[in-house]
Amino acid sequence: MTETTSIAPSPADVAAADADQRRTMRAERIKTLFARNKILALVVAIAIIWALFTWLTQGDFLTARNLSNLLRQMAITGMLASGMVFIIISGEIDLSVGSLLGLLGGLAAILDVNFHVPLWINIPVVMAIGALVGLFNGYWVAYLRIPSFIVTLAGMLAFRGVLLGITGGVTIAPVSAPLVAVAQSYLPDIAGYALGVMVFAALAVAALRGRAKRAQYGLPVPALSSDLVKLGVAAVVIAGFFGILDAYRGVPLPVLIVLVLLGAFTIMARRTVFGRRIYAVGGNLEATRLSGVNVQGVKLAVFGLMGAMAALAGIATTARLAAASPSAGTGAELDCIAACIIGGTSMRGGSGTVFGALIGALIISTLDNGMSMLGVDTFWQMIVKGTILLLAVWLDVATSPKR
Amino acid sequence: MSGFLLEMRGIAKSFSGVKALDGIDLRVRPGECVGLCGENGAGKSTMMKVLSAVYPYGTWNGTILWNGAELRAASIRETEDAGIVIIHQELMLIPQLSVAENIFLGREPRTRGGLIDFDRMYVESAKLMAELRMTHINVAMPVANYAGGEQQLIEIAKALSKNAKLLILDEPTSSLTKREIAILLRLVKDLKAKGVACVYISHKLEEIEEIADTVTVIRDGRFIGEAPMRDITTGDIIRMMVGRDMSNLFPREEHPIGDVVFEAIGITCLDPDNRARKRVDNVSFSLRKGEILGIAGLVGAGRTELVSALFGAYRGPHSGEVRLDGKRIQVRSPREAVGQGICMVPEDRKAHGIVPGLGVGHNITLSVLDEFTSAGLIDENREFSDIGAAIQRLRIKTASPLLAISNLSGGNQQKAVISKMLAANPRVLILDEPTRGVDVGAKYEIYKLMFALVREGLSIIMVSSELSEVLGISDRVLVIGEGELRGDFINDETLTQERILAAAITPALPTQQRQAASDGLAPSIH
Repeated sequence: MTETTSIAPSPADVAAADADQRRTMRAERIKTLFARNKILALVVAIAIIWALFTWLTQGDFLTARNLSNLLRQMAITGMLASGMVFIIISGEIDLSVGSLLGLLGGLAAILDVNFHVPLWINIPVVMAIGALVGLFNGYWVAYLRIPSFIVTLAGMLAFRGVLLGITGGVTIAPVSAPLVAVAQSYLPDIAGYALGVMVFAALAVAALRGRAKRAQYGLPVPALSSDLVKLGVAAVVIAGFFGILDAYRGVPLPVLIVLVLLGAFTIMARRTVFGRRIYAVGGNLEATRLSGVNVQGVKLAVFGLMGAMAALAGIATTARLAAASPSAGTGAELDCIAACIIGGTSMRGGSGTVFGALIGALIISTLDNGMSMLGVDTFWQMIVKGTILLLAVWLDVATSPKR
Repeated sequence: MSGFLLEMRGIAKSFSGVKALDGIDLRVRPGECVGLCGENGAGKSTMMKVLSAVYPYGTWNGTILWNGAELRAASIRETEDAGIVIIHQELMLIPQLSVAENIFLGREPRTRGGLIDFDRMYVESAKLMAELRMTHINVAMPVANYAGGEQQLIEIAKALSKNAKLLILDEPTSSLTKREIAILLRLVKDLKAKGVACVYISHKLEEIEEIADTVTVIRDGRFIGEAPMRDITTGDIIRMMVGRDMSNLFPREEHPIGDVVFEAIGITCLDPDNRARKRVDNVSFSLRKGEILGIAGLVGAGRTELVSALFGAYRGPHSGEVRLDGKRIQVRSPREAVGQGICMVPEDRKAHGIVPGLGVGHNITLSVLDEFTSAGLIDENREFSDIGAAIQRLRIKTASPLLAISNLSGGNQQKAVISKMLAANPRVLILDEPTRGVDVGAKYEIYKLMFALVREGLSIIMVSSELSEVLGISDRVLVIGEGELRGDFINDETLTQERILAAAITPALPTQQRQAASDGLAPSIH
């Protein structure tokens, strides 16, 4: 048998192949640009959505009052999302957080209304119980090797049941003034501005230190101008953020809590052993285990953290409504999972950021708020949110560098 | 006509420029059993994938004649229709489905209404089982109810139901007990009597000796020879399998060897899926300070299971004792092992070695992150200066320590994984196939590093399937075969690849004495 494979390609073929290659390369470049600046893309998406709603509501959307409300709405999803993002990074899922939020919010209300427990005891107790319940979930997942989907699905049913049992299925109200203040008080203007300056200073220092560090380790240092532009954008966003909030009543306390969580958890993710290990466990569980890391302990702790965040969100929900409803937090798990996913957290585990998850939460709250203002029917709101989630993941998959 | 059922002539196949097969011939007569022999990685499985059109016609060079006519199959389906059926190393049965459903999977008989005709399926399957003298198998029961050996026979029944004229058995006995192997071999003999030919691939030469009529040997992708089994001995086969010249790839360096630091006593590991089977059978050995101990054996002999057990990473039931400095230590998890100074670089780098999304540096410090913390935060300056030192010491080629490790070449990934374990300051370092998928240059550097480490007083256990590597690097060689310790040799001039292979395939006493006497290759068991 002789093979006849040595046919010289015609010039036309060469040209076509060349054009084809150039097209592929251009597509690749757009992909990498997008993948590298995922967060920027999300910010742009928010700007577009906000512009759209502002136009549709003839400016009502972009008032200080509405934005303040929007951020307060977003805060509760944000608290859950900042715990959930670590669950998903570690390669697990937690479906029980909506029910747990309701249960712990109800518990806080019962302690407050029926037993008159002072706030400074109430909050630590409820958060500790939340962490314990989270650890309970984590124990089943990490040590008894039950898939987290199952464990937390069971929790989703059971915790809601406990809530109905302890409240007798009725709303607990009215809660005391100090508890209400958790969700409905505002920072004084001056503190808001000071906070803004501090946040900007922290960002600037981090950026400069990062440059110095990259130089020290012989890594390519991005042009100073690009960092300055980024800082400039950050300055505008921060000034706008605190300016708008102060124009209404100041920074709402729940928003402040979310900002603190953002800072603390970002440091945890990047600079602590625990944070690094969460990414390692989600990236390759076996390799991490064979490196001598206590992978079960890491998973247990991540679930504990999630429980504490559910407690915080539960307290904030009760405070916001000044009452504990037996249906509080229904569906909240799905909102916060969607927030993480829209914010670029990979369901495969191993990658994601708290900042992204909070941006995702902001996008979801924006959709809720804007469509409600427009009087869009609930069914349309659900369809739109579902579509956005699907598109966000598709965009992530399509621009992912691997295949 | 040539009288051959199958003639493969000058088969050549490359993978991205590397020749896996280079002009191999294989001929099978009707009703004949051909044993296909070769070392790990010689190209046996690739050859069978060419034959069964896992690699379709056109992706390789050469000619396949089937019943005298050229076969140009584009898919497995076409080769199966022709009567060539391959039975893979790993079983391809669906455990939850019944035996009959598995046999007829994808070809289920239908009733007129379009539903599955279970009656016919059961009757046909039972008939098949009777032909194979397997009447004790209930064809309506789920496959999961039967042990590994019986599943292997069911797989063969499935092949025969497709009217196979040529059966390819690729390491069919690698996960069977001795009794199950006997039943399988009897079945293959029955089939030969019925006119079904087979190609039998196995590392176990005693099986080849028992059932093969002709033996074909390949080595490094080349055809070495073909001979009737009655004319040759297993010793001849081993010589044909090994016979490659050893070039000076191994930078051997003299180093002092001290007292015993580490002992493994009576290590036994059971197969988690087939508890009747011992993957490692009562293996004991010791390791001296500054010693490189090579562990040789054929793929599936139980070497990886043995070292995993020493590192606390074996998943199934196991027993035995591990001693460090004469004191018994507990290694129930890799964490405990690392804590006691025993570290392991696993065999499967991608699945068990690297965390792909993390940077090179963060992979290196994964096991010792705690050491870099101050006030709860990782001190990045200290971490990066250590990472920089590790990258320099092992000459890891990376654009930056922050680059995701998955972007590195296999050799550099392996160096990073070794760095990770060295960071934990081990006293005993276990390297499982340290140079698999690693280019020649990086191999050389890894060997250099190993000698540097033992001179610092570390002890190394190296599992390797490359006999030349075992001989080129080790101070002492353990040979494992079918889970048993079959040899413990000082690596001097008298130790050859032939002796190691002979020990690996020679069952422990008493058959070993007979075999050794007849081959003139006496393994010395300490």
